[in-house]
Amino acid sequence: MASREARFHKQVLIDTTPLPDHIPKVKEIGASSAPLMSASFFIGARCRAYNDDYMQCKTEAHGTGEVDCMREGRKVTRCAASVIDDINKHCLQQFRAHWQCLEDNNQQMWNCRTAERPFNKCVFDNLKLEKVIPGTPPNVVPVHQRRKQIFADNDQSKDLVFPTTKAKTADTKATA
Amino acid sequence: MPQDMPPVGGYGAVQYRRNLPTRGFRPAWYLVGMGLVMTFGFYKYGVGVREHNELAREKMWSRIYLTPLLQAEEDRDQVRRHWADLAREQELLGRQTKAYHSDRFVRPTFAVTPEKPLKD
Repeated sequence: MASREARFHKQVLIDTTPLPDHIPKVKEIGASSAPLMSASFFIGARCRAYNDDYMQCKTEAHGTGEVDCMREGRKVTRCAASVIDDINKHCLQQFRAHWQCLEDNNQQMWNCRTAERPFNKCVFDNLKLEKVIPGTPPNVVPVHQRRKQIFADNDQSKDLVFPTTKAKTADTKATA
Repeated sequence: MPQDMPPVGGYGAVQYRRNLPTRGFRPAWYLVGMGLVMTFGFYKYGVGVREHNELAREKMWSRIYLTPLLQAEEDRDQVRRHWADLAREQELLGRQTKAYHSDRFVRPTFAVTPEKPLKD
């Protein structure tokens, strides 16, 4: 994307001074692009209010948002981290399969429907988060739920199967 | 002197037409057939465009949902560096200056970097 080399990148711009103590600490999300993309719709589903708050704060701050909106920014990061944590707790196998598929397929979601369908189902069953694409015309089936697609792999029998999921949830229920 | 005249009863017919059998359908049907093929092709093309639009929408929203998260992380890092710069300036010069006649946050163009690469 960038037409020129980045000259001030993290290897050069080393400044390890932490934020002052009166700023509450927050652990950064720490996930790379493919897992984030895989979880993005669930992050959006749970954290939409925080995200909107933060973006509105930035817009209304007129240039000082970097400092003034840190509180909202921490909420955004914590919320997203909670989604990733929950997905890791309940749907780790499906999540891993999906984001590794994205990693291998140029991060094109249509290339990974066979991994996405079980992942979406698991997240909906366990976390009650649903993937919704806003702005989809009401008279069409959302593209990730279509039985027939031109580009994607339509064959639902090729969907990845995760046999241990049920046993795992049963285990956690038994212990809880 | 008598002139040459056609034979009595006239000349026989000149055969200028070829007696080949006509092949295939009437030309209009070929036009109709091409129209049908083109219509079908454009229909399939339209379906593909619609699907591409939906895929693009999916991609855009996945990014839109992540933007605040990525922006928040970047902003925190920028503020951390900015405050570290201010503290360093206070320590070295005893005062804090502003390069711009404005209170807005400006991403720094230049940055202090350590002389030797640090090990982390």
